[in-house]
Amino acid sequence: MPLVDDGFEALLEPFYNGKKLTDPISTKEDKFQLLPAFLKVKGLVKQHIDSYNFFVEQEIKDIVRANRTIRSDVDSNFWLEFTDIRVDRPRRQDWKDAKSHTEVTPMECRLRDMTYAAPILVDIAYIRDKQRIVRKGVPLGRMPVMLRSSKCRLSGATNTKMEQMNECPLDPGGYFIINGTEKVILIQEQLSKNRVIVEADEKNNIISASVTSSTHERKSKTYVTLKKDRILLTHNVLVEGIPIVIILKALGGLSDYEIMQLVAGSDGRYQDEFLINFDEATKVGIHTQHQALEYIGARVKMGSRKGQFGPQVRRNHVEEGLDALANLVIAHVPIEGLDFYPKAIYVAMMTRKVLMASHNHKLVDDRDFVGNKRLELAGQLLSLLFEDLFKRFMVEVKMSIDKFLKKNNRAVPLDAVHMISNHANNIGIGINRAIQTGNWSVKRFNMNRAGVTHVLSRLSYIAAIGMMTRISSQFEKTRKVSGPRALQPSQWGMLCTSDTPEGEACGLVKNLALMTHITTNVDEEPVKRWIFTLDAGVEPIRNFSGAEMHREGSYIIHVNGTPFALTRYPKRFAHKFRTMRRRGWISPFVGININTHFSAVHIATDEGRICRPYIIVKNGQQKLKPEHLRLLQLGKATFDDFLNHGIVEYLDVNEENDALVTIYEDQITKSTTHLEIEPFTILGAVAGLIPFPHHNQSPRNTYQCAMGKQAIGAIAYNQFNRIDTLLYTLVYPQRPMVISKTIQLIGYDKLPAGQNATVVVMSYSGYDIEDALVLNKASVDRGFGRCQVFRKYTTELQKYPNGRRERIGDPLNEGEGKVKRRIAKHEALDDDGLAIVGYKINYGEAMVKKETPLDQTTTGIGMDRGPSEYRDSAVSYRIPDPAYIDKVMISQTEKDTTVIKVQTRQTRRPELGDKFSSRHGQKGVVGIIVDQEDLPFSDTGLNPDIIMNPHGFPSRMTVGKLLECLTGKASIIDGRPDYGFGDAFRSHPVEEMSQVLLDYGFSWEGKDYFTSGLTGEPLEAYIFNGPIYYQRLKHMVQDKMHSRSRGPRAILTRQPTEGRSRDGGLRLGEMERDCLIAYGASQLLLERLMISSDGTEIDICQQCGLFGYKGYCHTCKSTREVTKMTMPYAAKLLVQELISMNVGVRLQMEDEFPHPR
Amino acid sequence: MPREEYQVPTGASGAQRGATRDAHESRAQMSYLCGDCGGSVTLGKDALVACPHCAGRVLYKERTKRMVQFEAR
Repeated sequence: MPLVDDGFEALLEPFYNGKKLTDPISTKEDKFQLLPAFLKVKGLVKQHIDSYNFFVEQEIKDIVRANRTIRSDVDSNFWLEFTDIRVDRPRRQDWKDAKSHTEVTPMECRLRDMTYAAPILVDIAYIRDKQRIVRKGVPLGRMPVMLRSSKCRLSGATNTKMEQMNECPLDPGGYFIINGTEKVILIQEQLSKNRVIVEADEKNNIISASVTSSTHERKSKTYVTLKKDRILLTHNVLVEGIPIVIILKALGGLSDYEIMQLVAGSDGRYQDEFLINFDEATKVGIHTQHQALEYIGARVKMGSRKGQFGPQVRRNHVEEGLDALANLVIAHVPIEGLDFYPKAIYVAMMTRKVLMASHNHKLVDDRDFVGNKRLELAGQLLSLLFEDLFKRFMVEVKMSIDKFLKKNNRAVPLDAVHMISNHANNIGIGINRAIQTGNWSVKRFNMNRAGVTHVLSRLSYIAAIGMMTRISSQFEKTRKVSGPRALQPSQWGMLCTSDTPEGEACGLVKNLALMTHITTNVDEEPVKRWIFTLDAGVEPIRNFSGAEMHREGSYIIHVNGTPFALTRYPKRFAHKFRTMRRRGWISPFVGININTHFSAVHIATDEGRICRPYIIVKNGQQKLKPEHLRLLQLGKATFDDFLNHGIVEYLDVNEENDALVTIYEDQITKSTTHLEIEPFTILGAVAGLIPFPHHNQSPRNTYQCAMGKQAIGAIAYNQFNRIDTLLYTLVYPQRPMVISKTIQLIGYDKLPAGQNATVVVMSYSGYDIEDALVLNKASVDRGFGRCQVFRKYTTELQKYPNGRRERIGDPLNEGEGKVKRRIAKHEALDDDGLAIVGYKINYGEAMVKKETPLDQTTTGIGMDRGPSEYRDSAVSYRIPDPAYIDKVMISQTEKDTTVIKVQTRQTRRPELGDKFSSRHGQKGVVGIIVDQEDLPFSDTGLNPDIIMNPHGFPSRMTVGKLLECLTGKASIIDGRPDYGFGDAFRSHPVEEMSQVLLDYGFSWEGKDYFTSGLTGEPLEAYIFNGPIYYQRLKHMVQDKMHSRSRGPRAILTRQPTEGRSRDGGLRLGEMERDCLIAYGASQLLLERLMISSDGTEIDICQQCGLFGYKGYCHTCKSTREVTKMTMPYAAKLLVQELISMNVGVRLQMEDEFPHPR
Repeated sequence: MPREEYQVPTGASGAQRGATRDAHESRAQMSYLCGDCGGSVTLGKDALVACPHCAGRVLYKERTKRMVQFEAR
């Protein structure tokens, strides 16, 4: 198949290979082929990349266009204009190095601890000596490049090219490389902006409609609140809530009648309820627009507009009020030429929503509804940051230009390029720092978010993919509301139902489902033009009064939440709109839905909406025909072709409400509008690993989603080229016997993390209680579960400002003459002071013999010269178990310091206590490793790799595991890998599998005759056995094993240190202490709390009760009453700290064994 | 104790070791492999880390020529 982008060639293959071109195609069976076609253009990680591309190609230009000119306050003739901006191809920072004729690769950045970034170039025009000067390609800092984005070197690279760049073709991309670490900007979930949300506070009987206005200039929130029958408008800039009628009067001077019509229409109920609000206005004597503006202006917070430069114009209340209404309240509705009517309509609409919600509580919005949420992606976050940095940059450039022009007699004419390059780096540095630290702070929006970025987890391939699809919520974790955590019905198909962490973040951290796409921004203007041209009966809302708007049967068309037009035929309009979208005239990501409750048609073009594709059904017939699939199979059509030909379309969550979707083809009726492409796409990529997940108890699938990310296996094709801090690989990874289509799609069968173990379900030896596993020693010898652990030790040779630098010293030798030997600590060092590749390295041995100069502070000028000695600061191996040096890399960073990375390797075979798990949330540790001869064997001589205790099944109800075992067994016996599919929500072929087993002489239920290996007698029952895919999890005994008799103590408290890494002690906690007290083991208590801990002998004066010293009391100036006692050092500290706080503490002594008097 | 167990017999290795040591006693230059072009790079002590053939900045140490014994477990 001559496909150009062969990164995905591999993804497509299995589907087309299994099916020959001559095979018949049925839309029912084969429509899943749309899925790989979809993933080719959208989905999974593509949204990150799409979002970044959108930012880098369009948004960045828009931002610069919006603030492109600098004018000087000093010289009015001067101006500077940014005519264009673009992001170039990624380059090294030291790219002037003419010698290097290779372009930078992501791998080089990872290895050399560089940032994978591209220069931002601007074209400028400015005035110099009264001449217009144009400069092209002025650098403006560096923009980090997202991997596999359009700017990345990997975009459109073939497998061969990827291999040449040492890159894995299966790597999802979508992350950044900042100083050598891979950073992901997680998807952020938020309540949608510029939409009215009606909320109800049942307790205080408050109903409020709120809207978060977000424009490029500012972000603000406006509330319209109904409290005790009065409706008020509140906003941050207003000191207090302002009666709604006053606001409406101020907005365009509407008459009372007009206001009433605009809010309530001709509906008597709403009119009655709203009437009281007019009294509010009359009570304070507001009748005219002027009075209303004055009233509002008096309540505008002073100093809210402090941010402006230039002379503060003293304004009267009317101007103040006008300004607040025009620019601050509901800022996203623009005011054109002082026409306040659109804003009045908007405020009236909010008021009307409040009134309606008070009448019918069902009309209160659900904050957890996915349609009311927006997902913020890397591109959006970056554009927020870039805009902020760019504006700051412009201010800085303007200031320095002003400063320059202020000087009267200048020697040289002003060169703006110079000014720009002085400040240019701030932009790049700002973005770099934000991604590196994850602190997103945009002052304009008062945004201060921490933890936006995370280091991409490379524990396993699945962990990396899982991270790319993760969505973190902005809700606080501490709040005890179940709403945001609960599974929302509208999440169906959009967010994975299984993949969420347990515990604290449960339900707040979500994952995208397989077919989800997140929209990018679509331009509003063309859509607005379409609205008028589509249907004859559509008129601009500006032309109507309230009475007409709210007449029965009239529907207001909203564009991104703002009333825009009016129609009498909403269904016809929506139908025509959709038709145009299906024909490709309108962007496929524009959503339209009809809300009959509010008599509104909503059209959404904004970014961050979650949507996914469906097959269109019309007149009870689906649009997808076998010939379409044939074209797809031949590679002559892509998913986008189907989109443009009206075969599939994207629906967002709101539009889903207008659709009648059926899952299976045979359920299509006359009223069906859409057909699901594949039911298993409601699960995400991580949950897609589970075979037969629809047969498992749901929490088990969630457990597996957490564990799949901890499984050791292949990470990427380039795993041995990359030097990660910690890398686990499996020595013999295997493709699962039972796979799913998701596994093929995401390439888990190419980068697997586990092995197919022959499992026998029976009890054995008693070392298998509580989910412990019995392992076959011979299997372990043959490499079952064998893994390698790579660790990175990195060091940079620092340079000091005084010219001194760290160096690598010579290894030390001992012995004389010819028989010199390295000293024990330098056993593994080569002549260059670096470890020798291939050597074994033991605890305490040096790997890099780095030396630091003692003199780091002196200037070296004149007599100010420090010692020229060096101090040893070697990097040594600090793990009890030895390892081998796998790789030693020497390179230079962008700052021209030498960086040395040493990678060590350990090979580990499974041992007692290592953790294993199947793909069904069934984890267990190795309880015993048994010699093969002692294990049961079947009459075919089959031996188990793992014996699993049957008690693991009844309470866990993981039927999927049984089915996996059975299906796997049948497919190996018959040698048919195509049997081994365990897709979710597909009919599983248990009957067929059983028949295969029967045909080959096995029992249909998968149970076989076994002989005991210990006694040689037949086991009394038939034993269920077969292959089950087992994952080795990263938790290994070797990394946790710890003991201590004596060891280090903390300086302050003199108690033993804490934790394995510090060789800490084992704490006898308060509960354990309680046990000892209750039992009366006083001597044990004394030992644990004093002798093995921080018991100290202390001198105490019996006279004054204070501490003495060396048998002498400083307070009483005597040695007479001073005596010794033992107490915990911590207690002594407490006493002293209290004394230091002016709390007197005196100890009164008493004889333990009093003398008889 | 365990190190002793897996060491190559000292007689042979000691002599071999001594020999290599003598050759490099002055510690003049070491040979590395370029990560980009695979060519061999000889670097002095404080030389700039770069491959003369392709200007690649990532160098690796060569694997030891000595026999390394692994514990077959």
